[in-house]
Amino acid sequence: MATNLPGSIGTRCDSPVDPSRRRLLAGLLTAYTASLIPWALAQPAPHADRGAFTALSAILVGRQALDAAQATRLYDALAAAHPNFPADVQALLALINERHIDPLQLQGVLDGEHSPLAPLPRQIVSAWCLGVIGSGEGARCVAYETALNAVIVADVLKPPTYAYGSYGSWAAKPNT
Amino acid sequence: MPAQLSADIVVIGSGIVGALAARRLAQQGASVLILEAGPRLESARIVAAFRNSPLKGNWMAPYPPSPWAPHPIYVPKDNGYLKQAGPYPYPAEYIRAVGGTTWHWAAQAWRLVPNDVRIKSLYGVGVDWPLTYEELDPWYQEAEEILGVAGADNTGSPRQHPFPMEPVAEPWSMRRFRERLAPAYPVVANTVARNSRGYDGRPACVGNNSCQPICPVNAQYLGINAVEAAEAAGAKLVPNAVVYRIEHDAKGRIAALHYYAPDKSEHRVTGKTFILAANGIESPKLLLLSASSKYPNGLANSSGMVGRHLMDHPSTSLTFYADEELWLGRGPQSPSSINTLRDGAFRSQHAPYRLDFTNISQVYGVTNDLIKEGVYGAEFEKQLRWRAARQVNVKNVLEVLPNPDNRIALSAEKDAMGIPKPEAHYAIDDYTRRAAEVSKADFARIAELMGGTGLRYSAEGQFANNQHITGTMSMGNDPASSVVDAFGRTHDHENLFVCSTGVMPTAATMNSTLTAVALALRTAEHILPAKQARAATAHAGREADLA
Repeated sequence: MATNLPGSIGTRCDSPVDPSRRRLLAGLLTAYTASLIPWALAQPAPHADRGAFTALSAILVGRQALDAAQATRLYDALAAAHPNFPADVQALLALINERHIDPLQLQGVLDGEHSPLAPLPRQIVSAWCLGVIGSGEGARCVAYETALNAVIVADVLKPPTYAYGSYGSWAAKPNT
Repeated sequence: MPAQLSADIVVIGSGIVGALAARRLAQQGASVLILEAGPRLESARIVAAFRNSPLKGNWMAPYPPSPWAPHPIYVPKDNGYLKQAGPYPYPAEYIRAVGGTTWHWAAQAWRLVPNDVRIKSLYGVGVDWPLTYEELDPWYQEAEEILGVAGADNTGSPRQHPFPMEPVAEPWSMRRFRERLAPAYPVVANTVARNSRGYDGRPACVGNNSCQPICPVNAQYLGINAVEAAEAAGAKLVPNAVVYRIEHDAKGRIAALHYYAPDKSEHRVTGKTFILAANGIESPKLLLLSASSKYPNGLANSSGMVGRHLMDHPSTSLTFYADEELWLGRGPQSPSSINTLRDGAFRSQHAPYRLDFTNISQVYGVTNDLIKEGVYGAEFEKQLRWRAARQVNVKNVLEVLPNPDNRIALSAEKDAMGIPKPEAHYAIDDYTRRAAEVSKADFARIAELMGGTGLRYSAEGQFANNQHITGTMSMGNDPASSVVDAFGRTHDHENLFVCSTGVMPTAATMNSTLTAVALALRTAEHILPAKQARAATAHAGREADLA
């Protein structure tokens, strides 16, 4: 069971770089967005749509690293669920690049401007942090143990249905 | 499958209550047949279904209803099975499957307090039970030893013999509640059918924190354990057998049951004695469905009380942030509570209640809150950890008094098999509402003692339901005002018994399962007394085990 747990997830986007296609994520960012996710500058981005998704994801979930395999899975699922997804991602990233929007203010800005991009941040954050694509009856689960809400607390909690530890181990003060 | 089946004892329903009655009767040598409307389930598939569910907050998601034996589902949308006649919604949840609803419970295995069965005499409200707490005590003990109950003696429910097990180890979060609320409120370990050591071939709890919807390791007793024990004792079980009519003879004795298989083929089952154990909603539904020219209002219903006196436990709650890291989600989901308000002179004025602390991981709820609030960027991680570490919840578990207007009736709407759906008529009266108001002061004091901030009371006038369906086939000595006698025998049909939380004449403040199991064991003894020698041996064995 241990190998399925969040602790085993790779915490860097360290897939090998093809030198012939050394297009970097940095090329999709401005100085402002690069400052939000400095780790991403040297990450390969052979595919502009997927690169933009990785960059936007990192900005939205505030992580300094994202699992590459999970990014691929989530991108594919979101693109399948929302036909305009790649273009919307590029558009939202461009908007943040241009206007230097603080991630914490982003939803308020989009809602206030009645932007057609307003649903996008929640779709992406739900995918990363809940492992859920879509909502209501159309929702489906694409990640659980590797969803970021499990990863972020993995030093203290196990996702429900996974054993915490031997009998009584929960009596001790959480070690955080 | 043969066209006709027969047995000494035929049990309708394979939940924990019916299955343990079946087990006991099979152990006495009776031939026992259990008819279950739903299918067999597998624990591992339920666990997988939960992990793969997009709705982790909906614990019914891993239990989709079968088309031939539907049960209520409300999320992501109401499947329209339990019709709501109002005025207050009664969104009960239960599972129609082999093993029944305790696939999915928090294993709360509480006894009543002695005064719970005498509230009419003592407080002038509700009704008295036709039996005393002292009469229940040995049956509680037998039930606790079968289920493997862990508990402490300081909950207000006296006992003659020790619990089978020590209380389950206290999570850190509950320890802090206990330490910080003392002496204003004594926080005590809940009485649970959860192993604090290996018991009866099942392991000790390892803190999966998914008691609901499923304990993956079976450290808590499940209805399926009762079914397996009944089958080991010789009982036969037919799954997917949807009983739609109980047939009586000219003298009013029950002669047979009629059920549909999923293909709607009709089957008839005969027997000598029949036990209705299909839960507090499906059982009265079946009695009402079985109306005949001799019994135009349904079987066992000369009093007109079948389906009436529907009760449950409504709850209001307070969610807040404690001023220290508690990290709910380590250990079992429902470990501790405050029991000092379960009884008192105030019961003449307002409902008693238990105050219950959740230890359910807050991560899922907090994640949803943050997404809803649009908290993105580095703040997301920071907020998730801060809130998941500190967010806590206390709720009341309120008594509802028996009221004939609260009832389960037959809907004009039918399910896929052509069987009328159940229809709930429900209201929450001032007796219960007054207690909810009173308990707000407790909530506030608890939050204060925990250094609480961000206090969020449940919406005014809104009650969560606890799925403790009681009262719809109440026991009593008077056939004019009750459905079954003190032994669960229907007043109207000599060979028809009811084993269910539905026979409880009042709901008290405690989860109803253990009381229903105790009453069912008592009913089984009444139908077929345990052989004295065997009983003596069993008792000696217990003594040795406890020594």
